[in-house]
Amino acid sequence: MPKIRSIFGYMWAGAAIIVVFATFLASDFFSRALVASSGVKISPWYSGGEVVQTLDHGSYRTHVHRPVFDALIGEKDEGFIQVNWEPLAGLPSVIEESFDYSGDGKADFSVRVDTKTGEASLAPINPMVVSIRKTAKLDDGWMIRVQLSRTIKKDR
Amino acid sequence: MKTDTHQVPQGEGKGRTIVLTLVMAVITVVMFSQGKMPQDPKEMIALVLTLLFANTLFFLLLYTGRTDRYRAIYFSTFAVSLIISFVSHMFEARGSMSLSETKILQCEVPFCHLVIPMTLVPMAITKTIIFPGSLLGKYASIASMFVIWIGATLALGRGFCSWVCFYGGLDDGFSRVLKRPVIRNINPKWIYLPFAVLLLVALTAAVYLSPVYCSWLCPFKAVTEFQAVTSTKILIQTIIFVGLFIGLVIVLPILTKKRTQCAFLCPFGAMQSLTNKINVFDVRIDKEKCVKCKRCIQVCPTLSMSEESLEQGCARITCMKCGKCIDNCPKGAISYHIKGTDIPGKRNAYRLLFLFAAFLFLAIFSSHIIQDGIVRVLKLITTGSMIS
Amino acid sequence: MQGFFLGLSSGLTCVAYCTPVLVPYMLGEGKGIAHNFAALAQFLLGRLAGYLAFAFVAWLINLSVLERLESKGLLIGALYIIFSSFLMIYAFFKTDAPCAARSIGHIAGKIKASLLIPAMAGLLSGIAFCPPFLLAMTHAADKGSLSYSLFFFLMFFIGTSVFFIPMPFIGALRRFQALQIIGKMAAGIVGLYYLYAGIIAVVAGVKGI
Repeated sequence: MPKIRSIFGYMWAGAAIIVVFATFLASDFFSRALVASSGVKISPWYSGGEVVQTLDHGSYRTHVHRPVFDALIGEKDEGFIQVNWEPLAGLPSVIEESFDYSGDGKADFSVRVDTKTGEASLAPINPMVVSIRKTAKLDDGWMIRVQLSRTIKKDR
Repeated sequence: MKTDTHQVPQGEGKGRTIVLTLVMAVITVVMFSQGKMPQDPKEMIALVLTLLFANTLFFLLLYTGRTDRYRAIYFSTFAVSLIISFVSHMFEARGSMSLSETKILQCEVPFCHLVIPMTLVPMAITKTIIFPGSLLGKYASIASMFVIWIGATLALGRGFCSWVCFYGGLDDGFSRVLKRPVIRNINPKWIYLPFAVLLLVALTAAVYLSPVYCSWLCPFKAVTEFQAVTSTKILIQTIIFVGLFIGLVIVLPILTKKRTQCAFLCPFGAMQSLTNKINVFDVRIDKEKCVKCKRCIQVCPTLSMSEESLEQGCARITCMKCGKCIDNCPKGAISYHIKGTDIPGKRNAYRLLFLFAAFLFLAIFSSHIIQDGIVRVLKLITTGSMIS
Repeated sequence: MQGFFLGLSSGLTCVAYCTPVLVPYMLGEGKGIAHNFAALAQFLLGRLAGYLAFAFVAWLINLSVLERLESKGLLIGALYIIFSSFLMIYAFFKTDAPCAARSIGHIAGKIKASLLIPAMAGLLSGIAFCPPFLLAMTHAADKGSLSYSLFFFLMFFIGTSVFFIPMPFIGALRRFQALQIIGKMAAGIVGLYYLYAGIIAVVAGVKGI
């Protein structure tokens, strides 16, 4: 029995050296396999969530992401919705657009972004729309994140 | 008091060392160059220097029988090269070390292994990674770091922290500045702090879906990248990063001769400790040879040796397999060991197998970073700037 | 969520102090794991009742005292700073905390263990004036809503209870001391958060004056 254990130990140690080679020689393969087999994505709290609608305005496009309320289990009360405009070269100096993220046929909010100064304003229509959470110039466009809340507070 | 002759460590014979170094040389030439010779003279010089550096250290590791001394030189060079290379990259790409909001929103933040403990629970439950990086393809992508982590964990367990981690060489290096420690008595209970940090950061990251350690506690933000200071909160975070870096990575390692960041804060290290249980290599004490001089307890940089260890014949779960206790044991009672085999058994064979796995990992993983570091230094000498 | 984390971080210590109460009972009875689970359930229900009673008290304190104060933020901030400092000292430097469960442990050792009713032991062990508990009281009193206060203490209870789960498997308690230290240190780090929150509240309170 000790001999078997010893042989097993040496085999395991030898396998460790093979693992080192495999890690580097097949790094790309393992990376892709890991992503494909696990199905993981970047958290929507960072990526903005999946794009659910793309509007073509000719010189530029608007990408509307899904509202993000994701929690570890279930959903949070506070969330956001992200909108991207691209490409940078085709954007007008002022973007004004309304959005219906709830899908009820009525606009939920409209935003105005000055692409020269970065100033942005929000006109909430749906009471769940709270404020502008973030506006930023990206490498090839602009984006805005609008804060959403499922609990409508008294003081609002 | 009777003075012991320093009997160990015993190295390999000259012929055997040369043969084994030649094997390592062939492997490193192939792996470092990836089958093609660089055209740029600076890159060529960097490749040759890196190969010479790696193989000289490997030769010395085998020939002298000393592990920690030569490992530490390589390990610290890796950490310093990383800072030179990474910061130069950041200046080339963004013009500064600070991380812009745009890069975060575009999910282009380089991923490092310290984030891994915080990503595991959300990944298991939501199938998402709570980090603004790229999954595949780009610089320090998430999947590639996971592959390296899994490979290193299978091969080395917590040996990761002494042979693979590109930050560990910093406090390891600073812990060698003084000959004797100024602060000697450290309460061993502090080795549990990283586990407490791990518990909290893993849970808070899961609940808030945010890598809280990176936002609030990581000392290495100070020498890699940190968010541009645009608010009081970010200012406080930056002060914490810099404070922890100065305290735990520079000052305390110098004063205590311990790797204080790795031993008393790092949650990744705590997680790696748990992987020691499933790793084939460990550090064992031959109780018959041990005279309980406690030299190993004094020198261990992570307080992983205790009187209980000497009684039980094995290092604590937090052992990073750096080899310092092995090098310093006057009786040669401590050695690397392969689980399932005899103690002391064929200690040289155990050591050789461990060294091949550990040194190869360090050499291959660090090769491009060290080469890039050398290229940057050559650029600085010839053009006055490290960046293109 | 802070309630859960406070409970979680102090849970190991609670286990450490409650073990002398529960383990003799379990070992004394010696009726196996199923029986041990039943005893543990009774014990935890007793604890829950104790905590919910404190949630009610926290709400009453808010209603009767804090709501009438003009500088409530300042007071709460100061309490956060004091209790979080205690918590950090307790977590990183001291070994003992004032906890009723310890006294119960002593009593349990003197009387016949089988006479101890787990639910009563649980209720009494909820009376713990340890720093995490005091911070939890302050936090609950700060919010001023009964439902929030009850929910907060429920989360505190869940946090402390996580570590009781392995108790029926008595053998799993061997690594107890290490777990106890880790739990206390985790509480200390939570203390840092409350210290930060306290300083922010005091600064805001001073500006308000």
